[in-house]
Amino acid sequence: MIVCVAVVGHQNNPLYIQSFTEAEDALKLHHIVHCSLDVIDERVNNPSKSGTTMNEAFLGLLYPALNYKVYGYLTNTKVKFIMVTSDLDVRDTDVRSFFRKFHAAYVDAVSNPFHVPGKKITSRTFSESVTNIVSSYSFN
Amino acid sequence: MASNEDGVFDRWEVINRKIKIDLGSYQKIPSSAISTAQMANYLAQFQTIKNSCDRIVAAVEDVSDLWPTVKELFEQHQPLKRAVLTNKTRNPVLVENLPVEFILTTDARLRSRFPHEQYLYWFREPYATIVLVTCEDLDEFKNILKPRLKLIVQNDEKEWFIVFVSKAHPSNDQATKNAKKVYAKLEVDFSSKKRERCCKLDIHGPDANFWEDLELKITECIRNTLERRVQFYEDEIRKLTEQRFMPIWNFCNFFILKESLAFIFEIAHLHEDALREYDELELCYLETGSFPTPVSLSSISVALTIHVNMPGKQREFGGFDSEDDQAALLKPGSKPLTQMVHDDSFREFDFRQYLFACQSRLLFKLNRPFEVSSRGYSFVISFAKALTFHESVLPFCLREVWVLTACLALLDATASHHHDGVVAPDIEKEFYRLQGDLYSLSRLKFMRLGYLIGYGTDIEKSPLNSACLSMLPWPKPAVWPSLPPDASSEVLEKEKTLLQATSRTKHFGIQRKPLPLEPSVLLRVANRRRASLSTGNISEIFDGRPGFTEGSGLEASPRTPSSLKVQAAPMSRTNSSPGNFESPLDRPMRLAEIFVAAEHALRLTISDHDLLKTLSSVQDFEHKYLNLTKGAAENYHRSWWKRHGVVLDGEIAAVCFKHGKYDLAANSYEKVCALYAGERWQDLLAEVLPNLAECQKILNDQAGYMSSCVRLLSLDKSLFSSKERQAFQSEVVNIAHSEMKNPVPLDVSSLITFSGNTGPPLQLSDGDPGNLSVTVWSGFPDDITLDSLSLTLVATNNTDEGGQALKSSAATVLKPGRNTITFDLPPQKPGSYVLGVVTGQIGRLRFRSHSFSKGGPGETDDFMSYEKPTRPILKVAKPRALVDLSAAVSSALLINEAQWIGVIVRPINYSLKGAILHIDTGPGLKIEDSYGIEMESYMETDCDAGATKAEVSVEDSHVSPKRDSEVLNLCEGKIVFSEWASNVSSILWVPVRALSEKLARGSSSVTPLKQDILEGMRTVALKLEFGVHHNQIFERTIAAHFTDPFDVTTRVANKCNDGTLVLQVMLHSLVKANLIVLDAWLDLQDGFVHGKSDGRPTSTFFPLVVSPGSRAAVVFSISIEKTMPSGKDLQLPESILNIKYEIHGDRAAGAHNPVDAADHSVADAERRDLVFKSAIVLQRPVLDPCLTVGFLPLPSDGLRVGKLITMQWRVERLKELKGSESVEKQHDEVLYEVNANSENWMIAGRKRGYVSLSEEQGSRVVISILCVPLVAGYVRPPQLGLPNVEEANVSSNPPGPHLVCVLPPLLSSSYCVPVK
Repeated sequence: MIVCVAVVGHQNNPLYIQSFTEAEDALKLHHIVHCSLDVIDERVNNPSKSGTTMNEAFLGLLYPALNYKVYGYLTNTKVKFIMVTSDLDVRDTDVRSFFRKFHAAYVDAVSNPFHVPGKKITSRTFSESVTNIVSSYSFN
Repeated sequence: MASNEDGVFDRWEVINRKIKIDLGSYQKIPSSAISTAQMANYLAQFQTIKNSCDRIVAAVEDVSDLWPTVKELFEQHQPLKRAVLTNKTRNPVLVENLPVEFILTTDARLRSRFPHEQYLYWFREPYATIVLVTCEDLDEFKNILKPRLKLIVQNDEKEWFIVFVSKAHPSNDQATKNAKKVYAKLEVDFSSKKRERCCKLDIHGPDANFWEDLELKITECIRNTLERRVQFYEDEIRKLTEQRFMPIWNFCNFFILKESLAFIFEIAHLHEDALREYDELELCYLETGSFPTPVSLSSISVALTIHVNMPGKQREFGGFDSEDDQAALLKPGSKPLTQMVHDDSFREFDFRQYLFACQSRLLFKLNRPFEVSSRGYSFVISFAKALTFHESVLPFCLREVWVLTACLALLDATASHHHDGVVAPDIEKEFYRLQGDLYSLSRLKFMRLGYLIGYGTDIEKSPLNSACLSMLPWPKPAVWPSLPPDASSEVLEKEKTLLQATSRTKHFGIQRKPLPLEPSVLLRVANRRRASLSTGNISEIFDGRPGFTEGSGLEASPRTPSSLKVQAAPMSRTNSSPGNFESPLDRPMRLAEIFVAAEHALRLTISDHDLLKTLSSVQDFEHKYLNLTKGAAENYHRSWWKRHGVVLDGEIAAVCFKHGKYDLAANSYEKVCALYAGERWQDLLAEVLPNLAECQKILNDQAGYMSSCVRLLSLDKSLFSSKERQAFQSEVVNIAHSEMKNPVPLDVSSLITFSGNTGPPLQLSDGDPGNLSVTVWSGFPDDITLDSLSLTLVATNNTDEGGQALKSSAATVLKPGRNTITFDLPPQKPGSYVLGVVTGQIGRLRFRSHSFSKGGPGETDDFMSYEKPTRPILKVAKPRALVDLSAAVSSALLINEAQWIGVIVRPINYSLKGAILHIDTGPGLKIEDSYGIEMESYMETDCDAGATKAEVSVEDSHVSPKRDSEVLNLCEGKIVFSEWASNVSSILWVPVRALSEKLARGSSSVTPLKQDILEGMRTVALKLEFGVHHNQIFERTIAAHFTDPFDVTTRVANKCNDGTLVLQVMLHSLVKANLIVLDAWLDLQDGFVHGKSDGRPTSTFFPLVVSPGSRAAVVFSISIEKTMPSGKDLQLPESILNIKYEIHGDRAAGAHNPVDAADHSVADAERRDLVFKSAIVLQRPVLDPCLTVGFLPLPSDGLRVGKLITMQWRVERLKELKGSESVEKQHDEVLYEVNANSENWMIAGRKRGYVSLSEEQGSRVVISILCVPLVAGYVRPPQLGLPNVEEANVSSNPPGPHLVCVLPPLLSSSYCVPVK
């Protein structure tokens, strides 16, 4: 299951972070998301090395960790979407479609004329739609 | 199974038949007998042979017993310097320093083999055969040697060449010659055009070429042999690969072939090819294995296929041998191959490690430690998955231990092979990142092991550790280790330490639920696994659950109903006393017991003493933990992953803190805080910052501590409770008021923000003070008292000049949230100002805030709030006219009379409230103090007519309630403006009198009036002080023109026969008012008498009204007195014209009735008449001329500007001088003087001088002078005067002043082209 999704601004500041665990351990997910920015930075700064075409927003699996997986997605405006899942058997296509929906929800949220770009997203509608998207994806 | 064995055999038969050798004893063995043991034998043999052989072998066929002689020489020239070999893809590869071992064919190592073994282990067979011969006799060669050689070389499997050794000494010509002959013959017999197979070595002669020749030949042989063997193996492998999915297939055969091929490449130093073989071998192994979990190198579909093809067949995994817990992934020889085989397949546990070890050995040989790291990490991850799958049967925690040792082994090996700067920087960074990953992974596993044996309390509950550990499932042994019988003392001790370990409370009394380090409650997991042995237990439910979700790390969450049940049941049991349960087996273990049991189990699992030691005590554990953390941090710092490094620094800091190394801890915490703060991860910052603050407090770093407190306060409010925030504030205030040596500067931009008030900026005129009100947002949770508060303003146009600080009065108390502070604003320079910085003081704390907020402090995470606002808060206008003072009337006023002089005060968008006007009159003017100064509003838009109305209103609105006019009294030369005049234009009427002693002079046609402007000019200096603090000053001097009412011109209009002269007096009005002449009379000078009248004109003319600017004339009749009195008692030198008049004028237009005359208090009857006196000079005609001066006519072509002309006067004596006193001295000389207006004429020559003129009557002289006219028009020509002669004695012609016409200058033709 997806345990955390986050939107990180182009200056690597958190814009939205939502964890889906019941325990009070959101902080560790903050940590995971924050550290995964290292990987995104590395991929963005060394496009030649990573080999992936930077034309694609989906960054793929960021961490081949033992116990969880972190996926990244980079929009054209250098806003990053990060998703942490505890499922270890995940298909890329599923993650891609998840991010596409998430991106759409994000675009809706920031298109709100009352939203100030670069500020945290506090929209409840966004939160709800994210929760819906997350609950519709169970990678098993 | 049997068929499979048959298959193996068949396979080998195929091989053997192809190469036409006799299988010998092997054929006699029944196929079924080639069991696993046999296979193991093969493998054992294979491995032994492989290990004994490490280089390419060249066989030496020593035909002539030469080897002992040349052996040393041959071995000296080893290894082959440059050998060009062919790789698997048939491309030439240059191999340097290829070692070759020379072995005699008679050597036991080559001789004693069965033929079939040669092909089985082909790599050890010679790659080249060197035939050593010598012969000096041709016959001997032909008869004996040649047949023997033919026999030797007939086997075309061999790659051979002949080395002819010449032992002949160079001095022995015969022997040399013979040897040459024999060698020539040898070449003819054995070499072909295609291939040179002979070379010659002169033992006694210098022959450097030989060794090169030899190297080339050996290389050629090796290359050919290698190609052939590779080809053979490849063919075999291909055939086997095709049968891969058949049931008869046996991996061992494939392995031996593949590994042999790899080994062939390896000893030929073709490491790349060898590596590729191993990679293919691994791939094939993984593909043909039966893995329920997909592994990295195989796709799911293949795995499924294999599964279907091999129903029920599953390899044994392995991992039960002693020391299996120590990863052998870099030690290919750690275990003999025979031990890896079980039931005719390789154990995955051992075999995959073996393969990886072979690969990494080659990679190190290729000098690619980076690749070892990167492959190693993936290998560890994928292998750990395999271990997870088999965990239930493996020893307790074998997986953890294995991963830990594997990572450490990889780190060790790669670090020793890695040298900085050898590879590209990118690769290097990546390498360090992988090292960091390996360190992290080992650190994670080490922490897990530590936790299991009860060191969990020593592990910092940081987000990092929580993220690692709480998402990592517990080990899942089939049965949780149980407590050994004699461990009760250990349990007691463990319990004691558990009780002692109190969780450290955070500074500031911050209370947080500690982050979990365990995926689920260990107590429950352990007891359940243990209890599953007993029957009928509730825990069976849980064992029925899939293991995967169990380890998801979220089990503890009460999401699923089953979890809820779980939590309820075992927890209650844990808390209950052991006495509830009869059987000790069924009694749930307490936590301390679990730890002790785990420790015992681990001692059994872990074979490495060093590792055991690190887990033996808390100190050792911590030491190792710190080492691993440091290793990870250092490597991450060298890689791209800075965040990882910094976060790990924070973990190091926690350990340092625990050991009292606060300075180190503070340094590291600073870095972590900077990282989080820089990217605004406030939640994480809130976790670390209190730790930093605590370090700083202990280190007595007051500035740092206060700064940390302020940073804590400025974090998002939701992150801390209000009580905690109050604690932060009280810390700040306490420290600020404590005894600090030096004031501490502190930036509180994040906490105290400020902004100007909304709306337009405050607008001030230059030099005006004001009050500036600013909104200050306080992020403090409580009121805070500031000892002082000041604000700097920064001029937008002038950035280099530091802004001026505005001080707020006295102590200020800032409430939480919005505060409005008003600052006194001293006069500022013109320009627009923005807010600069707010500074202030709390005790010894000097704080500054640069932060501007738009709405409030809630926007601290907004980037834009740190930008300077462009909106100015204050605008000070450039110096401009704020007021204008001007004279109301430009026309002349009456001189010597009290007149109203009007001053218009016009404020220009500026209030004149309370303004003071200083009035200072210049010379010749005085203020009539007895009258008040009238002030009234002034309509600017109106013309004169309006002004007239205004004046009308003056008269009846002295007490008007509208208060737009009043009478002010001059007090010490100044008046104070009234309220009503603050913003409207007003006019001030000041009563003045211009004084002039001078009598007006009339003019005649003879002596025209010279208008002297300055004559009637008087000035009034005005100084207006206004503005809030009378700081604005406006000074202006206005001029007023005073004049007589009339300009008088006289002329003699007529000369009657009776000697009466009609004197016409023209009165020209000089004022803008109606003058009414009431009377006029003339006081005549001596020499004239009144005619018929009494000196008055006909009185019926009066009153005569003279309109402004018009003329009037009165005529007097006078006559010349016949008897001229002597000059001494002259009464009047000139005549006086007296005119009594009235004036009807408007003070708004010009001259008017004098103030005193218009005074209403004076009765009309007593009104003083105005009398104007003017002097008139009357000249008596020349009655006794002695000399006459005649102006000679000018040239007929006229005068022209710039043209030189000669002026001539003729002076003639009319009568002889007789005793006249005037000409007493020089009778024959006359003084002349030429007077000319220098503006009109330029005169060349003597202007004044004497000319001789005889005393006789009729003598004459002509005086001429050169003149140039300067202006065109009718001008008065120069005049010749005779100063020494009385006017009465000079008659002039023409008699009066006359004018001449001067033409303008001719057009200059210099630049004109004449037109024809």
